[in-house]
Amino acid sequence: MAKYFGIDRIFTFLKTIKETGGLKASLYKLYRMDSLRPGQLVGTDKYGNKYYENPHYFYGRNRWVEYAPYYGMDYDGSQVPAEWFGWLHYKTDLLPDKDPSRPKYKWMLDHTENLSGTPGQYMPYSTTLPKIEAWRPPAK
Amino acid sequence: MLRITFTKVLNGAKLSPKHIYVATRAQSGEVKKPEKVEVFIDDKPVYVEPGTTVLQAAAMIGVEIPRFCYHERLAVAGNCRMCLVEVEKSPKPVAACAMPVMKGWRIKTDSEMTRKAREGIMEFLLVNHPLDCPICDQGGECDLQDQSMAFGSDRSRFTDIEFSGKRAVEDKDIGPLIKTIMTRCIHCTRCIRFASEVAGVDDLGTTGRGNDMQVGTYVEKLFMSELSGNIIDLCPVGALTSKPYSFTARPWEIRKVDSIDVLDAVGSNIIVSTRTGEVMRIVPRVNEEINEEWLADKSRFAYDGLKRQRLVTPMIRDCNGELKPVDWEAALLTVAKVIKNAGSQVGAIAGGLADAEVLVAVKDLLNKLGSEALCTEHTFPLDGSGTDLRSSYLLNNKIAGVEEADLVLLIGTNPRLEAPLLNSRLRKGWIHNELQVALIGPKVDLRYDYEHLGDDAKVLKEIVSGRHQFSSKLKSAKKPLIIVGSELLERADGAAVLSAVQTLAANTPSQDKDWKVLNILHKVASQVAAFDIGYTPGVDKIREGNLKALLLIGADEGAIDKSDLPQDCFVIYQGHHGDQGASIADAILPGAAYTEKQATYVNTEGRAQETLVAVTAPGRAREDWKIIRALSEIIGAKLPYDNLNEIRCRLEEVAPHLTRYGSAEEANYFKQAEQLAKKIKIQLDECTPIDVKIKELQDYFMTDAITRASPTMAKCVQAVLKQKQSKY
Repeated sequence: MAKYFGIDRIFTFLKTIKETGGLKASLYKLYRMDSLRPGQLVGTDKYGNKYYENPHYFYGRNRWVEYAPYYGMDYDGSQVPAEWFGWLHYKTDLLPDKDPSRPKYKWMLDHTENLSGTPGQYMPYSTTLPKIEAWRPPAK
Repeated sequence: MLRITFTKVLNGAKLSPKHIYVATRAQSGEVKKPEKVEVFIDDKPVYVEPGTTVLQAAAMIGVEIPRFCYHERLAVAGNCRMCLVEVEKSPKPVAACAMPVMKGWRIKTDSEMTRKAREGIMEFLLVNHPLDCPICDQGGECDLQDQSMAFGSDRSRFTDIEFSGKRAVEDKDIGPLIKTIMTRCIHCTRCIRFASEVAGVDDLGTTGRGNDMQVGTYVEKLFMSELSGNIIDLCPVGALTSKPYSFTARPWEIRKVDSIDVLDAVGSNIIVSTRTGEVMRIVPRVNEEINEEWLADKSRFAYDGLKRQRLVTPMIRDCNGELKPVDWEAALLTVAKVIKNAGSQVGAIAGGLADAEVLVAVKDLLNKLGSEALCTEHTFPLDGSGTDLRSSYLLNNKIAGVEEADLVLLIGTNPRLEAPLLNSRLRKGWIHNELQVALIGPKVDLRYDYEHLGDDAKVLKEIVSGRHQFSSKLKSAKKPLIIVGSELLERADGAAVLSAVQTLAANTPSQDKDWKVLNILHKVASQVAAFDIGYTPGVDKIREGNLKALLLIGADEGAIDKSDLPQDCFVIYQGHHGDQGASIADAILPGAAYTEKQATYVNTEGRAQETLVAVTAPGRAREDWKIIRALSEIIGAKLPYDNLNEIRCRLEEVAPHLTRYGSAEEANYFKQAEQLAKKIKIQLDECTPIDVKIKELQDYFMTDAITRASPTMAKCVQAVLKQKQSKY
């Protein structure tokens, strides 16, 4: 009956708000991620990003990431480390810690996000001579 | 050897058209002009003087006959045969450049026979000319390319696909300025004629004959001339090209800007070619009154100095005594504070490359602050009329006027290296006009014969008093000239020298009423403008002034040193090159070089000319007068001009001729100047011999901040020194 009138959705909505951590937290999440979805937390990476799954949604929307709070609004896709990338993009259904075939070596580098547009970005040096050679004052 | 005297012609020397030309010119004063003859060019009648060549007659009615070897300013050679034209009733075509017209000749410049002849010549020239055009630096501005398109055959008979037959000639090494690819040479001999006639360096010539003919220097040696770059322009093909310019740009991709050269006081007209915001080359622009169509090597090749040792950002000396780059705001605020605190104890020294705009802006600023300590780096006598009368510091008779003279007395100058284009005029007069030259000063090589009167100051005194044997010559000359080097007037007894010369000039009669005997030859481009605006020559004022702030406007010759100034004097250098001036400065304001600003320069004859912007100033450098204008606002003594027009109006207020571009303002008051000069008390120092700084070619190349920064000029110096060691 309740389902017929759609009243259960109200309950789901209220439940989601509760799970998110209250009205204020929900509004912030809605502002930050443009959606408020109930889901099951499947894991957290070393940077604090949380990965959720809700099989209730259709394929392609049922896995998502909630970026660590300290990114604020400056989150982007390159902040997802390589080991979670595959699960998030449905390349594999195995979670990183459940997959025995993943290589793990000492020399593997830590993940870095895309630094374009920041001071840390890569800038190739020029191979051409400068057109003007500036005068350098003689050292004292 | 080229000097064909009138008597020689009379004695039956061979009569080439050039000699006829000399003879007629020498006679023209006395003999009545012969009647003009009528000839027909393509059936159009034209009246010409007898002795005119077919080519000149055709040019008069605007018919241009193709040529390779003929050049208006060189003797006629007539060896390329490209100018063959048909003359009616003549069995063979005639070479238009060498054939004087006869009465009633009907010349056909576009007949079947003429075209056939041109096609044939073109084919012969191309038989041994490499198909280099895609990699040739002359490509796009090559006479052979253009004329083969216009007059050549439309199909080739060249069948040598095995590449066995084309003539190949070894390249010559004639110095760091000129690149030779001798296989491309078509033996027009323009370079040879230029070298022996204009430059006076008989180094180039031909060896072998027929197919084996080669143009070269016989033995491998440097083409030691200060005008060597002109053979690049003269070469109709790509056999002689510019070494620094090689493979850098194509003529159709460069932007050309008409400008003025400032590396000597002649003010040669130049074209600055730029591409991608970089000066690629500098070539001369025709100005009959100044440089004809030649250009001195320093002016032509020193442009790479504009790309090195540049001041690109303002700098301030920090507490550790090191110059550190800062932004304009910090620099201007610091400098303005110093000048404000200095009050009227602020001075300025203008160097040799300063333009009239910055000179007037600095003068206005300092005068507003109550200072009169405005000096030029190069000194000039102040006693007598000093710089008050223009006639005592100008080359009064103009550069072109030198050609007409019949006797020139050079005093304390080496025109060949101080003003190469003036010297080429002197040489022209010496060849064509019976000009006699005498020199007081060190015995230098001027590339023409002259009477050396010694380097003793006593000689000058004797000539002035009329006791010297040369005095009678000077008195009897029809158009005598006295050219005094500005360097001689920089001596301690410069005033006495100037006075002596003024007296001598006043006592030397000339036939022409407008003829001006007294001429001063300056060495730097800014000097005349600085005097016109009212700068004090010499830095004595700065030394005595007890200054708190000193502004150097491109002053790099080391006229003043830190030790000449009080301990707390703050030195500001404004200019474009890091040189002597910048190294002693406490603050540096980067200015623009002459290719980077629209600015006024006045040459040694008093002719105002303006440079135009070819490229933008590098980095944070700005136009000089704008820096002074900005500074004045921060100091609180705002100068009343905001743009170029307004500052030009101010220039006009100060001296109206400064904005009459292209025309040389006549100077007058010779008599008054001479009378004032008589009052001076300084005696001529007879013990010090008259000397010049630039004696030999190796001293010529590096004389100012731009040329000292130029690697090409450094190579030239090395090459000349090496050549001096060589036994050839």
